[in-house]
Amino acid sequence: MIPPFEEIEVERIHKRSDSNKKAERRNLSVDMNPMVDLAFLLLTFFMLATTFSKPFAMELIVPAKPKENAVEKETSVKESKTLSLVLLEDKLIWYNGITDPETNQIEYTEKSLNTLIQQQLNQISDLVILIKPLEESNYGQLVMTIDLLNQNQVKRYAISPSSEFDKSLANE
Amino acid sequence: MGQIRKLKKLPQLDMNPMVDMAFLLVSFFMMTTTFKTETPGKIKLPSSHSEIRIPDNDLAVIIVSEEGKVFFGIDNKFKRSNMLDVISKQSDITFSQKQKQVFSLQNSFGTPLAKLPDFLNQIIQGKKGVPTGIPLDSTNNELKKWILASRISNPKLRFSIHADESVAYPLINQCIESLRDLNITRFNLITLGDDSSI
Repeated sequence: MIPPFEEIEVERIHKRSDSNKKAERRNLSVDMNPMVDLAFLLLTFFMLATTFSKPFAMELIVPAKPKENAVEKETSVKESKTLSLVLLEDKLIWYNGITDPETNQIEYTEKSLNTLIQQQLNQISDLVILIKPLEESNYGQLVMTIDLLNQNQVKRYAISPSSEFDKSLANE
Repeated sequence: MGQIRKLKKLPQLDMNPMVDMAFLLVSFFMMTTTFKTETPGKIKLPSSHSEIRIPDNDLAVIIVSEEGKVFFGIDNKFKRSNMLDVISKQSDITFSQKQKQVFSLQNSFGTPLAKLPDFLNQIIQGKKGVPTGIPLDSTNNELKKWILASRISNPKLRFSIHADESVAYPLINQCIESLRDLNITRFNLITLGDDSSI
C-alpha cells in the first residue's frame, strides 16, 4: 500500500518546485494603508490627550495650631526686623515695624517687588516678612508674592492675618 | 496598447516611510504623555518659578474653581472607596455597591454630604448634576471630614491646593485653616511653571 520511498520524494520535489514558481510570480508588497490609519489614529489620540505644561508644586509650610492647653510658645520677633506686605488690588503697601509704621507704596509688579525684597534683605539681617492678604486680595497675588520670596531665598516669612491698620490702608 | 496597460495598474505609493514616521510620533507621545486630569470647570492656575514636580501617587487635591466652589479628590480608586466607607460610617449615610463603584471612579467631587447619594444616582442614570461645592463654613466644615477620612484611608497622602488665580483670599484661607486644624502643616500649592523657562 505504501508507495516506495523514492516515489514520495519525487512527488514532493515536484510539488515544492510548483509552489516556488507560484510564489515568485506573486507580488510580495503588503498593503500598508490600514497600518497608517491605525498609527495616525493613535497619534491623534495621544496628541489630544496630552498636557504639555505640566504643573509644578510650590511647597508651603504653615505653623501648627497651638494646642488648647499649651502655654503660648510663639517665637517673638523684634518689630524692627519685620517687613509687612499688604496686598492691595493694584498696588502693594509695605512698612517696617508694627506700631505707627511709615507706609510706602509700590506698584504690584514682579520687578518692583523683587527690588524691594532685595533691598530690605541687605538692610536688615534676620528679616521676617509678613504677608498680609486682605479680603479682596486674590490667590494669584498670594502665590506670586510667595514665589518671589522663595526666589530670593527668604527663609522666614508667614502669611499673617491683617490688622485693623492694614484694612484701613485699603480704604485710603 | 500602451495606454490600456497603464490604466490596469493603480498608482502605488510607498507607505513605509509614512508608517515609520507615524509610529515614531506615536511612541514619542506615548513616552511623554501625562493625561489631562478632568477638573471641574476651567481653572487658570497662577504661575510660579517653582521646579518641584507634583508627586504621581498619594496625592490629595483640594480644588477651588473660579466661582469659589470647593472640590476634593484623591488619586487611588481603591483608596477612594475606602474613604467613602469611612465617611458613611461617620455620617450614617449608607451607599449601595453601585454608588460606591461610581464614586470610586470620580477624580474629584464637590457635593455636600447630604446630597451625595442623589448626585451619584444621577451619574448612574447618565445625567450629570451641577455640583454645588463642598461646604466649609465654620459651622459645617465638610471639607475637614473628607480630609480626615482620606487620611484614614491613606496615611501617606500629600495634600495640595489647586485653585484658580482669581479666587478671593478668604476662601483659600479657609482651606488652609481646615488643613491646619487637622495638623497638616505642609502642603503644596499647584502652580504652572514659568513660561520663560520652557
